[in-house]
Amino acid sequence: MLGAFEQAVLLAVWKLADDAYGRGVLRGVQSALDREVAAGAVYATLDRLEQKNLIASRLEEGTPVRGGRVRRYYRVTAAGVKALNESKAALEQMWRGARWPLESNA
Amino acid sequence: MTRQAPPRWLQRALVFLLAPRDRETVAGDLLEEYREEQAPRLGTLRANLWYLRQSVSFLSIRSAGGPPVKAALTWVSVATAGAGIWLAVMENILKHAGYGVRTAVAAAIVAEALGTLLFLVLDSRPVFRLIVLAGAAALGALGISAIARNVSGPHFEGFVLIVGCLLVAQAVMTFAVVLRAHYPKAV
Repeated sequence: MLGAFEQAVLLAVWKLADDAYGRGVLRGVQSALDREVAAGAVYATLDRLEQKNLIASRLEEGTPVRGGRVRRYYRVTAAGVKALNESKAALEQMWRGARWPLESNA
Repeated sequence: MTRQAPPRWLQRALVFLLAPRDRETVAGDLLEEYREEQAPRLGTLRANLWYLRQSVSFLSIRSAGGPPVKAALTWVSVATAGAGIWLAVMENILKHAGYGVRTAVAAAIVAEALGTLLFLVLDSRPVFRLIVLAGAAALGALGISAIARNVSGPHFEGFVLIVGCLLVAQAVMTFAVVLRAHYPKAV
């Protein structure tokens, strides 16, 4: 099962579809988690997900606002979609039988 | 028109901290975010602080076991191996009492340094990784002991202090590199 942060990054890539490059993913993760997120953490997670073949990347030309530097676009692979679905299913399975929000049973 | 940009030294520092593969893409992403979102919203000073914070996040995440530490560990290992060889040679020239044991310790230092270099090149199997970690722990303990004895002993020797610091540095960096590469914690 994917970690919570990995899920947030992977979901951000999936939601952005064709616009999933680093900056967009960073903003997407921040928006999903509703807090500022360190860029280093997001890029490290993107690297790790790519090593696991859950995402793939390609380079495209840069724009003047970024000094012409190339953009790396990401897309979720079939294995990535499967991993996300399994993570969601595992979470739901884990919560089955528990009424949310939990109340103290002490 | 001159576009706003973070200070040049800060941009260079970020590039230094990034893996070669990410240098253009990540630096471009952060520059784009700086220009389009952070600087207009926060002003130059706070936008620069934002950029600095983001850069530091690469220092903590990537350099702990990332390329800069690996490069530093390579050179420290070479220096440690050299120091070990020098120690062994000197012990065998001077032949003071107990030189045999000290030669064996020097040989172990050289072996650990060479083992670490091999590990950096091969990035190899779990057993080798554990041996390198165990050796690093022993080197760290030896280094701390050498520093403590040298500082509190009657004869202060600069060379011993340097070697002690080298051993401790190698131990810390080896742990950082090995743990980062093979046991990455969930971020």
